[in-house]
Amino acid sequence: MNMVRGFATTLKHVIEGPVTIEYPEQERPVRERFKGRHALKRYENGLEKCIGCSLCAAACPADAIWVEAAENTDEERYSPGERYAKTYEINMLRCIFCGYCEDACPTEAIVLEHEYRLSFNDRYDAIYTKDMLIDPVPPGVQGTPQVTEPGKFTRSIPDMENPK
Amino acid sequence: MQVPIMPAKGEKFIIPIGPQHPALKEPGHFEFSVDGEVVTGASLRLGYVHRGIEKGTEGRNWVQTLYLLERICGICSHVHATAYCLGVERLAGVEAPPRAQAIRSLVAELERIHSHLLWLGVAAHEAGFDMLFMHSWRDREIVMNLLEGLTGNRVNYSANVLGGVKCDIDARQTDAILAGLEHLEDRTRHYLTVVTSDVMFLRRTRGIGVMTKDVAEKLGVVGPTARASGVARDVRLNAPYAAYDRYPVELITATAGDLEARFIVRVQELFETYRVIRAILADLPEGELTVRMPRRIKEGETISRVEAPRGELFYFIKSNGSDTAERVKVRTPTLPNMASVLTLAVGHQLADMPMILAGIDPCFSCNDRMIVVRDPAGRGAHWTWDDLREYGIEYYR
Repeated sequence: MNMVRGFATTLKHVIEGPVTIEYPEQERPVRERFKGRHALKRYENGLEKCIGCSLCAAACPADAIWVEAAENTDEERYSPGERYAKTYEINMLRCIFCGYCEDACPTEAIVLEHEYRLSFNDRYDAIYTKDMLIDPVPPGVQGTPQVTEPGKFTRSIPDMENPK
Repeated sequence: MQVPIMPAKGEKFIIPIGPQHPALKEPGHFEFSVDGEVVTGASLRLGYVHRGIEKGTEGRNWVQTLYLLERICGICSHVHATAYCLGVERLAGVEAPPRAQAIRSLVAELERIHSHLLWLGVAAHEAGFDMLFMHSWRDREIVMNLLEGLTGNRVNYSANVLGGVKCDIDARQTDAILAGLEHLEDRTRHYLTVVTSDVMFLRRTRGIGVMTKDVAEKLGVVGPTARASGVARDVRLNAPYAAYDRYPVELITATAGDLEARFIVRVQELFETYRVIRAILADLPEGELTVRMPRRIKEGETISRVEAPRGELFYFIKSNGSDTAERVKVRTPTLPNMASVLTLAVGHQLADMPMILAGIDPCFSCNDRMIVVRDPAGRGAHWTWDDLREYGIEYYR
């Protein structure tokens, strides 16, 4: 009798099929809050959200982010406000995907997206430059640099009271 | 470098196990002196996975330290972050809002499910019961997915920030967690039957590694290992932190003190965890998730204790008023429990050693805080840079 029960269990699991998936061919969708590769966002008018404030670099526990800012001019405008990120590099070998850059960003410019296939043949390939990180320009809009008025940027964090 | 210890003539035979060994998942060196198959003495050497984390905290600011400390353990990362956050918040004189505290407890309990299921699998694997290993790890995926949905990561959740938590919980996630718990509870009931009734498995666990209450008290054993010996000790009850005074936990103890009792205590703790999670979800306080933390923390020192899945986790944090911690001392639960392995080993068959070791749910890399070098030249425990350099030249000559 025990033998029958034993084989019944085996048979049940044969019918159930495997719980694993064949990874490179099949992919498991990630959850909404999954923290993968970063992306630098743009406004609808094509301007970059990043204002080059380096708060993400300061917040980064792994020192993975390098930002170099430069001044916007009316003829060559990259972002609303005074400054933009001239260089924006993230070393994906250092990044620990904690999402603190996302929290620190005052303009919601940097967002951790869902891409997780990050492997490199060379250490230098792991350094993602601004061109690789930035979102494509929305259709029908001119990319940066543009010739536009400064405009306003939205702040993601409301002003908080200082602790006593 | 390991100095061979030669047994005295005709006295005993020493079997060295580790640092790299198929029965050990993490590096540690054991020396069992045996009489035939029976172990007559045991000694342990740790420190192979020392990572210098405590020193690393001295060069980082308070926020960066949080992320470093979260990476002490890959399994119970959230409790490390919680212990650190609670300590730093106490030093700064702020308190995280009630909703944040409840979410901290929630993630901690989800993590406990993940840790206990992982342990169940590993321990079953050591006993040669790979079916249970695979099944429990399959079911562990459910809770990992829930954690990924809640915080964005499967491990190292970074749910905590200084002064609160980062992730909020909405109705959809509540439903997902409740549905997941339903399935897990069903499976856990099955596991409880398996670990208490499978004859082959019981021959590996029943009566093996018996630790009486007195021995457990004397060795200062913590966590489920101690509770399996009848020691009623749980930080969540004795000194409630986060939201555990709002959602009290019931203590699970057993009296047998053998490996079977440790299995039973951990599996029954899972039921308790499911109950606490449901209580938290049913009565989650509304409100803010974070309070503002100052960049510099007031001068002072504090201790912070939380109940990790493996037992009591202890943090000592000292601030000198700057934006960097002056000293962070971590004691993980594996260290006090490791002493019990050496005591329990005596009198057992050598083949039981992996099971006895697995019974405490060891985590070697969490536990390694220092390295003691056993040097034949007798230079002592403190080496200067010149000593190390000389040693290196000598070694590679």
